[in-house]
Amino acid sequence: MTALLNWTKRRAGPLIVFAILLLLWEFGVKLFGIKEYLLPPPSKVWVEFLKRAPAVMDAAYVTSRQLLAGYLLSIVVSVPLALVVARSRFVEQSIYPVVVFLQIIPKIAIAPLFIIWLGFGFAPKVIIVFLLCFFPIVVASVAGFKSVDPEIADFARTTGASEWKLFRTIQLPQALPDIFTGLKVGAALSATAAIVAEFVAADRGLGYLLLQYNGQFETAMVFAIIIILSVIGLAVYYAVELIERLAIPWHVSQRPAGVTGA
Amino acid sequence: MHNGVDKIGSSVDIAGVAHVFRRGDMVTHAIEHVDLTIAAGEFVAIVGPSGCGKSTLLRIVAGLLRNSAGNVKVAGRDVTGPQTEIGIVFQSPVLLDWRNVLDNVLVQLELRGLDPAKYRDEALRLLGKVGLGDFTDRMPRELSGGMRQRCAIVRGLIHDPPLLLMDEPFGALDALTREQMRIDLEKLWLDRRHTTLFVTHGISEAVALADRVIVMTPRPGKIDRIIDIDLPRPRNKEIIASAKFSEYCEEITECFMRRGVIQY
Ligand SMILES: Nc1ncnc2c1ncn2[C@@H]1O[C@H](COP(=O)(O)OP(=O)(O)OP(=O)(O)O)[C@@H](O)[C@H]1O
Ligand SMILES: [Mg+2]
Repeated sequence: MTALLNWTKRRAGPLIVFAILLLLWEFGVKLFGIKEYLLPPPSKVWVEFLKRAPAVMDAAYVTSRQLLAGYLLSIVVSVPLALVVARSRFVEQSIYPVVVFLQIIPKIAIAPLFIIWLGFGFAPKVIIVFLLCFFPIVVASVAGFKSVDPEIADFARTTGASEWKLFRTIQLPQALPDIFTGLKVGAALSATAAIVAEFVAADRGLGYLLLQYNGQFETAMVFAIIIILSVIGLAVYYAVELIERLAIPWHVSQRPAGVTGA
Repeated sequence: MHNGVDKIGSSVDIAGVAHVFRRGDMVTHAIEHVDLTIAAGEFVAIVGPSGCGKSTLLRIVAGLLRNSAGNVKVAGRDVTGPQTEIGIVFQSPVLLDWRNVLDNVLVQLELRGLDPAKYRDEALRLLGKVGLGDFTDRMPRELSGGMRQRCAIVRGLIHDPPLLLMDEPFGALDALTREQMRIDLEKLWLDRRHTTLFVTHGISEAVALADRVIVMTPRPGKIDRIIDIDLPRPRNKEIIASAKFSEYCEEITECFMRRGVIQY
């Protein structure tokens, strides 16, 4: 209960600002007589959304599934890859530069290729999300796995502990703050990635719906979908942040308030 | 547990050891031709100007750095890799940020595959002795630099190693704590008789603690003089204040003056 109260207190500022913006939007639109197909007021967005809620929520489910699958895949691939890069000079000098180079290729530009290769279904979208989230997680995790203080490493070597034990006791905990930074960047990108994947080619999902409504000048529905997408993105981001709080409380609490308290 | 009779420290033999750091074209002769034999259970202090290779020598003895030339033996065995029968305390307190003070001490035992629970009481006792009794469940970031260093010292000792390597362990401490830590370290040593190699900048600290003081030259570091400190133990207030004590300090200061390390 106090936790909830604290949470509300900490976020009271942004929430109030948000509410004021909504009110300005609502009355601004009416005051200046802006046409609804250009900028519908929030109330209209809400009403329209309620009318088509089932269809939209179905699409949201489709998109979330792709987003989560792609994001989880990027974690499962990136973190172990980062560990290998951090531990092996050979991999760092031979494979890692290639990964970095491939990163330069605009992934959105190659998205259509995946449609050719993999068709219209679930897989190409997952891969596009994966590609976009992958790199920030790798880079941050490599930095994390390499961040063990040389003197800590020296001390640890005098204990004769096995590599596995050193990894568990020192290298992994040391890397977690950086890994989580990467995971949060990835989470923030994942919603964008999911929608872009659906723009390229899809017959369902929020991206598909958004293009449909846009084509029919149903601007209120476009706004509704943008908002839902943002909510999905935020939910993923805060889920990661919550896990971070549980996993590395020693680190989270030493950051100045506000850095994470958005 | 420690009565100094059943336990014996490790001897250390350093013969013709030199070390050269190379990075590209940059070549640093850190130490040159160091010969030193340390008997089991002996307390040896090394003093020398900054950058003369004291830390380098210590790391070579620990097997953390491969010497460019010469040979090192610990307890009669050639040092070819990291030594595990040692306790080490570095110049800076390197603690694990995610563990509290007690767990930072106990990590020494966890990594060694020993049962930390068995050492808990001893860890708490030692932490109490170094003035961290009320801070055992604090995180490193909640401690001052000196407190962190004291925690690192206890971590270096907790497993009762036969060889203790200390690199300016009291460097980050205030004068008062430093004095107390010196007294406690001597007590502990009298109790356990682990061979100790103790690097310091403090001339009187070296004289107060050591059986022998090794005075090093500026870089490239060589042994300038070895001074036997023939003072009774424990080195109490009277001994520290004695004329003989000052003479030893004087002697070391003169070594440094001769080399231009100290100028008036
Ligand atoms: N990793 C390294 N690479 C290159 N040079 C090094 C390295 N470590 C130390 N040196 C050089 O070796 C010399 C000796 O360094 P060392 O750290 O052993 O000195 P020190 O006697 O411990 O000094 P201080 O009292 O300031 O701690 C210095 O000149 C230093 O620049
Ligand atoms: Mg040093």
